[in-house]
Amino acid sequence: MASLGIDVLFKGTNFLRLLQGLWVSIEISLISVVLSILLGLLVGVLMTVNNKVLHAILKVYLETVRIMPQMVLLFIVYFGTTRVFGWDMSAETSAIFVFTFWGTAEMGDLVRGSIKSIPAIQFESAWALGMDKVQTYFYIILPQTVRRLIPLSINLITRMIKTTSLVMMIGIVEVLKVAQQIIEANRKTSPNAAFGVFLVVFLLYFIVCWPISRLATYLEKRWA
Amino acid sequence: MDKDILIEYLPLYKDALILTLKIGWQGIILAFVIGLIGSAILHFKVKVLKTIVGVYIEIFRNTPLLVQLFFIYFALPKVGIQVTAEACGVLGLGLLGGAYMIETFRSGVEAIPVIQTESAASLGMSKLQILWHVILPQAITISIPGLLANVIFLLKETSVFSTISLMDLMFTAKDLIGMYAKTIECLFLLVVFYLIMLLPISIIGAVVERRMRYGQFGD
Amino acid sequence: MKKNFVKRLTGGLLVAGLVGAALTGCGSSASTNEVAATGEDTVEADSNAGFRTLDEIKESGTINIGVFSDKSPFGFVDENGEYAGYDVYFAERIGKDLGVEINYVSTEAANRIEYLQTGKVDIILANFTVTEERAQEVDFALPYMNVALGVVSPDSAVVESLDDLGADDQIIVISGTTAETYLTKNYPDIKLQKYDAYAEAKTAFENGNGVAWANDNTEVIAFSLENEGYTVGIPSLGDQDTIAPAVTKGNETLLNWLNEEIESLGSENFFHADYEATLLDTYGADYEDTLVLEGGK
Repeated sequence: MASLGIDVLFKGTNFLRLLQGLWVSIEISLISVVLSILLGLLVGVLMTVNNKVLHAILKVYLETVRIMPQMVLLFIVYFGTTRVFGWDMSAETSAIFVFTFWGTAEMGDLVRGSIKSIPAIQFESAWALGMDKVQTYFYIILPQTVRRLIPLSINLITRMIKTTSLVMMIGIVEVLKVAQQIIEANRKTSPNAAFGVFLVVFLLYFIVCWPISRLATYLEKRWA
Repeated sequence: MDKDILIEYLPLYKDALILTLKIGWQGIILAFVIGLIGSAILHFKVKVLKTIVGVYIEIFRNTPLLVQLFFIYFALPKVGIQVTAEACGVLGLGLLGGAYMIETFRSGVEAIPVIQTESAASLGMSKLQILWHVILPQAITISIPGLLANVIFLLKETSVFSTISLMDLMFTAKDLIGMYAKTIECLFLLVVFYLIMLLPISIIGAVVERRMRYGQFGD
Repeated sequence: MKKNFVKRLTGGLLVAGLVGAALTGCGSSASTNEVAATGEDTVEADSNAGFRTLDEIKESGTINIGVFSDKSPFGFVDENGEYAGYDVYFAERIGKDLGVEINYVSTEAANRIEYLQTGKVDIILANFTVTEERAQEVDFALPYMNVALGVVSPDSAVVESLDDLGADDQIIVISGTTAETYLTKNYPDIKLQKYDAYAEAKTAFENGNGVAWANDNTEVIAFSLENEGYTVGIPSLGDQDTIAPAVTKGNETLLNWLNEEIESLGSENFFHADYEATLLDTYGADYEDTLVLEGGK
């Protein structure tokens, strides 16, 4: 296999760096997912509120997320906001911001869906028992919603990890950029490194995402 | 924002839109075909092929398109398989999309009550006839909202084509920013062109979904 | 003034429309705070200017320098994860003489101006060729290297003149480089195949995706020397240019310090030492005098 450039990975700290790059991706995804779940619950509840202005704003928000590629959002947030508002966000912060912006919309929509799917009788019973609106949401509706959401949010994690491959474009050194650096530093000695290194990156993504998406499928079936 | 610059860049974005759509649609058609064949294989539980389709779905749903493209475009030539950038774009999009389309069609097929298959069988229709005349027409209709969502997803994914030298919308914006540093204008046009490309599809998707729900309730 | 205001306003509306929906609509202004709290490594920029002055950099104890991380032998990351190369050797010296830590920011060619204008780096030391267009956007310090454009192609089909190219032949360039601008302007009919990153462009060239690769001649010469089977058919194209550090437009304190630094380094023949440490392996001694610029002249 030497000629295919896998050996390059065992030089120096190359493989460790690749794993560190992968961890950067996972870290960004995890932070974003946690923020998305929290904000998504809020947005989801707001979506069920009957207020036309709120409705319109949320609609525009959802549509923006649905239509704009994450890469475009990354560029706008990372370069655009500094130009226009003078905010200096680091690449990591921009990435987390964009991923949370995206995740919140998806979670919000899912939360709305699952709140809607909870029979109206539960709201009515809770009110009949003298609970107020906040109590009803907090003790009755949200706990049920959260359970339905867990498989879906696990699914979101894998999609986020996959999307982190884009953050290379705003200068974050994650697994793909490390791969490029390794290929470049070893071009002379192993010209075929591109094959081995990209193959390993491909496998690394799969090894991380596959178990997580299996878990999501499993939970979905069990808790459905 | 400088109006002259917007006008000057407009043709470049138009070219990029055409390229994005050209590769996008070819990829989507490929994905559609893979989706149909794959879901048929799963539906009929064809031995061996069934396993291959399963593995294919898992691999392409659990790796990023960017990495898939990198692998096809930069790594495969090292072992003697040469692909042009455009072919790589179509292939990458088609393979990724196919994995999602199979799932979409399958849930469409599963949504059709078993009794229809049984009735068709009792009328003496063959398995293929049932698929072609009874299941597929309904399954595709049921799948339309999911299909359109996949189309939007795939067209959005074209934004990573810049890495394999295809001048799509995203790359055009990045490239112009790199050469002339007119960031605001470039990003503005970028957003506008994505809206032009995807908003109509998104709206159609919403309308179709509403229509279909009425249709189902009316039955 | 007015134009500027309109520019900001329209730009603001654009971004606000997209990004602001979350902030205004969902009462999630908390997200900005929470998100900001998780961000790391950012050195606070002066809020009312797009750059940090020399004193602000010294005070913070860290300087942000934008370099390439995939452009061997000028700026790359070695197998131990350390930045290295001709540009980095100079960057290390800047850090030492300023008495601050260096935070390297990995840039792509097309992002360099953007990084400076948004104040995300203090200095760009990423093989940045001085051109008139760029000088309108950023401030260049004194140069430290000579450069021209060059074109490398495989031995089997050496491209010796751009006029010989067939109608379907594609030339590989990197987005945001002088080669791209030059060819776009002077040879609008040549089909360019553009890549974001050096690593990608070189791999594509090796894979035979284009008939030739046009870039700084330093870079293409290095490529032909390091890899067998390639010839630099066109060693010099366009004007002789220079490479210099760049800072955000108007950052005079840092610019002046850099100029003095480059002048004083000339007396100790610093860039010759830099060449011998980082480029000798690739170029041999022959190119030392043509490439190196000492003391800014």
